[in-house]
Amino acid sequence: MMHLKRRIHLNGLFFAMLGLAQLTCAQELVALSEKDYLGEVPIVLSVSRLPQRLDEAPGAVTILDRQMIRMSGARDVADLLRLVPGFRVSTSFESNTPQGSYHTSLSDYSNHVQVLVDGRSVYSPYMQGGTGTGLQTVAIEDIERIEVLRGSNSAAYGARAFLGTINIVTRDTVDTQGVQAQVASGENGIQDALVRLGWGDDRARFRLTADRRADHGLSGASGPDRVNRVNLRADLRTSPTDQVELRAGQTVIDAGVGFSDQEGNDVRTRSMDTSFVQLDWRRSLGPDEDLAVQFSHTTETISDKFPYRPIAGVTISFGGRASNDNLMLQHTLRKGADLRLVWGGELRRESLVSRPLYNTDAEFATDFVRLFGNAEWRLHKDLVLNAGGMFERGNVSGDHLSPRVMLNWHLTEGHTLRYGLTRAIRPPSTYEKSGNVRYYLNGTLLDSTTVARGNVGPELVLSREIGYLGEFPRLGLNLDVRVFEEDVRDYIKSFNYALPGSGGNNQAVDFRNGEDFNIHGVEYQIKWQPWRDGQLIFNQSLVDNSQSVSGTYSPRPFHSMGLMLMQKLPQGVEASLMYYQVDASHFPGTDAQAPAMSRIDFRLAKALHLGSRRGEISLVVQNLGPSYQDFLPSFYFRQQAYVMLKLEN
Amino acid sequence: MTLYLQRSLLFLFLFFCAAVPSRAAEWAVVIVSSERSTAYQEAADAVLGELARSNVTRRDVHQMTTAEWNAAEVTGARLFIALGVEATTVLARSEVKAPVLATLLPRASFERVLRDCGRRVSGQFTALYLNQPLTRQLDLVRLALPQARRVGVLLGSESLAQQAQLEEAAVTRSLKLVSARVEPQEPVFNDLKKILNEADVLLALADPQIYNSSSIQNILLTSFRAQVPMVAFSPAYVRAGALLAVYSTPTQIGQQAGAMARAFFQGRALGLPQYPQDFSVSVNEYVARSLGLNLEPQALTERLRRLERGS
Repeated sequence: MMHLKRRIHLNGLFFAMLGLAQLTCAQELVALSEKDYLGEVPIVLSVSRLPQRLDEAPGAVTILDRQMIRMSGARDVADLLRLVPGFRVSTSFESNTPQGSYHTSLSDYSNHVQVLVDGRSVYSPYMQGGTGTGLQTVAIEDIERIEVLRGSNSAAYGARAFLGTINIVTRDTVDTQGVQAQVASGENGIQDALVRLGWGDDRARFRLTADRRADHGLSGASGPDRVNRVNLRADLRTSPTDQVELRAGQTVIDAGVGFSDQEGNDVRTRSMDTSFVQLDWRRSLGPDEDLAVQFSHTTETISDKFPYRPIAGVTISFGGRASNDNLMLQHTLRKGADLRLVWGGELRRESLVSRPLYNTDAEFATDFVRLFGNAEWRLHKDLVLNAGGMFERGNVSGDHLSPRVMLNWHLTEGHTLRYGLTRAIRPPSTYEKSGNVRYYLNGTLLDSTTVARGNVGPELVLSREIGYLGEFPRLGLNLDVRVFEEDVRDYIKSFNYALPGSGGNNQAVDFRNGEDFNIHGVEYQIKWQPWRDGQLIFNQSLVDNSQSVSGTYSPRPFHSMGLMLMQKLPQGVEASLMYYQVDASHFPGTDAQAPAMSRIDFRLAKALHLGSRRGEISLVVQNLGPSYQDFLPSFYFRQQAYVMLKLEN
Repeated sequence: MTLYLQRSLLFLFLFFCAAVPSRAAEWAVVIVSSERSTAYQEAADAVLGELARSNVTRRDVHQMTTAEWNAAEVTGARLFIALGVEATTVLARSEVKAPVLATLLPRASFERVLRDCGRRVSGQFTALYLNQPLTRQLDLVRLALPQARRVGVLLGSESLAQQAQLEEAAVTRSLKLVSARVEPQEPVFNDLKKILNEADVLLALADPQIYNSSSIQNILLTSFRAQVPMVAFSPAYVRAGALLAVYSTPTQIGQQAGAMARAFFQGRALGLPQYPQDFSVSVNEYVARSLGLNLEPQALTERLRRLERGS
């Protein structure tokens, strides 16, 4: 009796805490009356919920929607980025995880794009601001759409939106009610699985997803690579004007890295464990005004060590931990029919501890204070000006302003021209500023690699663009063209320098703002519905980048192309084909020549009806053609096929 | 002197207070409101304004709420106007001899009052509905969204009765109805998703089982995500995020009720229950803009009126 009472009490407390004491009350059936017609209802599509139209957005946007994501057969977000003009991708886990970069050649960490997952910036302070782990935050199956803003956009998306912003929006809990389970099995050790539970009512809805993505990795790499994830989301309506969303999750990425013939980089499993909690509170202050507060806390723990074979008893480690705390306040308001304003502030702290990378057990804390604002001003019926900026004060990187102006002119119905200027920055990562990697044996310094001297400031990009958006409804066709020039200044590069007493060859590596270069070119994307239930997505990009890599690679124009064809067929069958090709280039971070490559993926799926349950069986073949080199000359992506079975109640 | 004046005023006030019941027999119209909030008062004011155009003056009209109802007090009235379901119920249960015009209530509510109180529609007990005829709502869909062919409707226990009528009205307008019956106590999600997959527009029919202040959040967000605009039944829903709505304001209802009362005193019968003639259209221009639509509420209202007049 005692026990039961206590339990009830705790339950009551739990719901009272959430302000949901009435959660379990069955809704009484109320009879219709005049009150239904005359009464007020809460504002739902408030000013901040109404997205900008693509032809009024301050930049070029590629949207990868649920259907494309589902029909691509992709197992990683990086695979989907092939459908975005100007992106290069890699599926390697060697330095990081599968990743993508826009307009610049791939680096080890892809730290020039901003990745947001439901509004939370997910770069890794540990991985030099890299975004690969962030792309692994949620299961592909939980993603509603991915909006990729091509171009610099620090003004709207923060300091990391140097060249491109990948905005991952997860599915609403309304759309994921019930139980779903899926398993995939195939060549190259593919063993993926997912279980998802969705429950709740109008006041509170929940989703819990656990999934695994596993395979043997690239041929030539030390695989296997396993990603295990769990994500919880709760959407709570605490009052007619308040919405609270709580998200929490953990991603553990165990990747087989290293090489058996490299004693200093031996074969081992590197584990990256990232956990986060995110709380969003949104209050509607009326039809024209909204307030949003977001708090998030992210931690990452990297475990990466192996015995140094030449000397017994010596262990080499690259491990450590980092965290990211963020508090943001955003106020959105509308002044009349022609002006919409968003402004707010953000406090962020990155902290990092790693003896292997910094030669100290002390914590490195980097604090940022940011103020941002954007005005969407309809100067005329056909002319929309987006003007905004972000001011950032960093305790390490100093004060910086990232402004942006963009003018969208609707020439006629369905045809829009866009012109704009943007300035964006990327502050140096803690590693680039303070990295200090030493190898000791019994207290004696054997060697040093990175010994950063701290003389490094933010990178800067000034970009100009002209865009055109055309809708041709009769042809079922949409066209988006972007002509751009991105002037990168003070790009951060590594240099060797003499450091007597540092062991080994008495040389160390430092990071400096070492290069200015110019990226210019043109890219376009087409969305076409040529016939019923068929869709074609096509993109092409020609980028001329004067960036030198290590000095021996001569820059040349780089062409890439992506295509996706989707067709729904009778009897619940659907087929899709993806094609991607890029020019010869160089491997990430080195001058080694990478040959041109192409890849074809194919997917065939059939819907199943098992009593009241729905399901789907699909076959995916990735890389129908010959193997291609990925990330390193010795790594190959071979043809691989898998079968997936999905069941939902 | 001042004291004398004050006393006189007090005396006069008390005299009039005492005199009120004795005037009962002289009231031509008694307006019974379900409650005293703004909407009811607007409707009552419009009735008064309309009556004032004939020889029924404000002094001939008595206003009261259902809480103040006292049958003995109003025995001499020649016409009762009930504003709202509660007031209609009170009058349906009373033994008043004069005719009753029930208004500011939807048709389904009026019909329920009839059933519950064992009354029948007659010239003695009739209604001016608050809700719009389905034909008007579908005409608006046609005018505002000419590309839309498939109209999605969620039907609950209150709106189910309209299915056949809606089906017919849709067919005559070359629209296809995509409807789903939502069982009581069942969440709306599943049926809503089904509807949104197939429909070009979501027509909301008032039914508290489906549309209420807790469910509206999900319905509007989900339909907006699916790019399926909602055509609703009240301006509050438009403020909340519906694309547009056609409705009659309490003032428009009051004016028509007043005009019916005026005709009644000129010897015309109240007749059978009817839908409001006058209406308004409101558009959420921000929602319209983000859906790439350009809708002008005034122009839509005019076009809809012209269409109904057949010109």
